[in-house]
Amino acid sequence: MMQEVLRLQGLQKSFGSVRALKNASLTLKEGEVVALLGDNGAGKSTLIKAISGVFPIDRGDIYVRGEKVSIRSTREAMDLGIETIHQDTSLAPDLSIARNLFLGREPVNLKWLGVFAPLDLAKLRDAASALLKRVGISKKLDADALVSTLSGGERQSIAISRAMQFAAKVIILDEPTNNLGVEETHGVLRFVKEMRDAGHSVLLITHNIHHVFEVADRIIVMRRGEIVAEQTVADTDLLTVESLITGADLSALMKRAQ
Amino acid sequence: MRSPQFSSFVILVVLLVVFGVADGNFLSPLNISNMMAFLPELGIIALGMTLLLTAGEFDLSVGAVFGLAPVVVMLLAQNAGVDIGVALLAGLLLCISIGTINGVIVTKIGISSFLVTLSMLLIVRGAALYITQGFPLKSWDQPGFFVTLLAGSFNIGAFRFYTSLWWFIGLSLLAVYVLRYAKLGNWISAIGSNRNAAVARGVPADAVKIWLFIATSVLAGLAGMISAFRISAASPVAGTGYELEVIAMVVVGGTALTGGRGTILGTIVGALMLRAIRNGIVLVGVPGLAYNIFVGVIILAMLILHALLQKNAARS
Repeated sequence: MMQEVLRLQGLQKSFGSVRALKNASLTLKEGEVVALLGDNGAGKSTLIKAISGVFPIDRGDIYVRGEKVSIRSTREAMDLGIETIHQDTSLAPDLSIARNLFLGREPVNLKWLGVFAPLDLAKLRDAASALLKRVGISKKLDADALVSTLSGGERQSIAISRAMQFAAKVIILDEPTNNLGVEETHGVLRFVKEMRDAGHSVLLITHNIHHVFEVADRIIVMRRGEIVAEQTVADTDLLTVESLITGADLSALMKRAQ
Repeated sequence: MRSPQFSSFVILVVLLVVFGVADGNFLSPLNISNMMAFLPELGIIALGMTLLLTAGEFDLSVGAVFGLAPVVVMLLAQNAGVDIGVALLAGLLLCISIGTINGVIVTKIGISSFLVTLSMLLIVRGAALYITQGFPLKSWDQPGFFVTLLAGSFNIGAFRFYTSLWWFIGLSLLAVYVLRYAKLGNWISAIGSNRNAAVARGVPADAVKIWLFIATSVLAGLAGMISAFRISAASPVAGTGYELEVIAMVVVGGTALTGGRGTILGTIVGALMLRAIRNGIVLVGVPGLAYNIFVGVIILAMLILHALLQKNAARS
């Protein structure tokens, strides 16, 4: 039996009079990839921002490994083992790969100096090289290279490996294949499978349903701030999922057309 | 070799050679001593401005703070009879407040630092003019510990140096350390490069920016005090236009105006360069009223050079 890693119960969030999240509940188990689907404005972003600590929720409970937690900042989410990879915005282009990998968690000497503590540059570079090697991109990438010199796919790989490195329990990927080429997209999807095999739980937000069928174990569909369906990938098909997303019965339409 | 601070350094050397050849007095001990007396005053402000620009913000109120801080300190000491040490402390608190107000409005209310610090420039300069009624203060003729500490002078051979040079060197080393080797420097560059990414990694971007605004104001006030003690007088119009001169030093050195890429060594080169240009141009006989034309042209040429290098680096 796979262990429950993350459970959300009755999350609610409003922005003024807009109820972005009405009553969202879901469970994420160890080593599974769950795809979160929904049209624009369905509440996917609000949901993941709430989990990753970008803003507080109005009502509802969040449990990490069965323990009730409150997440008030991105820092707290990271400390609980929840790593979020936002589309395009996860890396600082003017910093080296090594410095990006450890941004916010820099290894330092003389810790008592606080923010003025000197970076442990040797450790920084070694750890970064080891990590790049482990994720299989060491041949191409130098830990001291600036992120601005990397392609979109390489950047996603860096962001994903950063999440894996901190042994995150939950990795949230927000549209990870946006703006990527075909080959790079496959690289990222391969990465998602590797993460699952390494025991991480992945919450994958995407618009591309084909990717979902390739990597996900379970599908959760949101519409107008609510979770409207939850299915295992094995028990469903593309048309059903599309109908669930749009709220229209596409399979009935298809039958009529035939 | 293609780094912006290196190309700036080469041009600095070329300028020094050209001025040195064109006028024998340029490299004389007296003239070098003169340049070294002025250098720290703008250079110290430029250090703070470099960190602030690297974090993606800038501060137009530094020239006004340079003027107001000594005016307030000397008014307290001369007219209110306050001990000079206490008066300096009051000046320090004033600079901290100005920096805090700048930083809080920029980060918490979200108005661009251009507009916030432009308004602050007017407020601070206006305050300096109003409390002095526009007149320079009586000259300060009491030597003492603080005067020696900030503006004392000493001779090495034929050269005459001020203690302010030590301040500049010390603060430069500190700034190099912070930006390149400390955790804070990693945060500053990350915030300027991609604020959202930094925040998502738990970097307290707003707090860092507020502290940088405070540091910049305090450095501007310190530079103002150094200048006022050196010439033994405080004027409400001191430092007029310094904000642009300082920003020019910083960007000529290779720091990106858009944030993310900052270099303290470049700023030091930039500060030396602008000082040498201002001094050398007069010595080689360019009419005083025309020299801003040359300064502008040289700055523009430097920026074009950086942009071309940047483009080349991106292509290769």
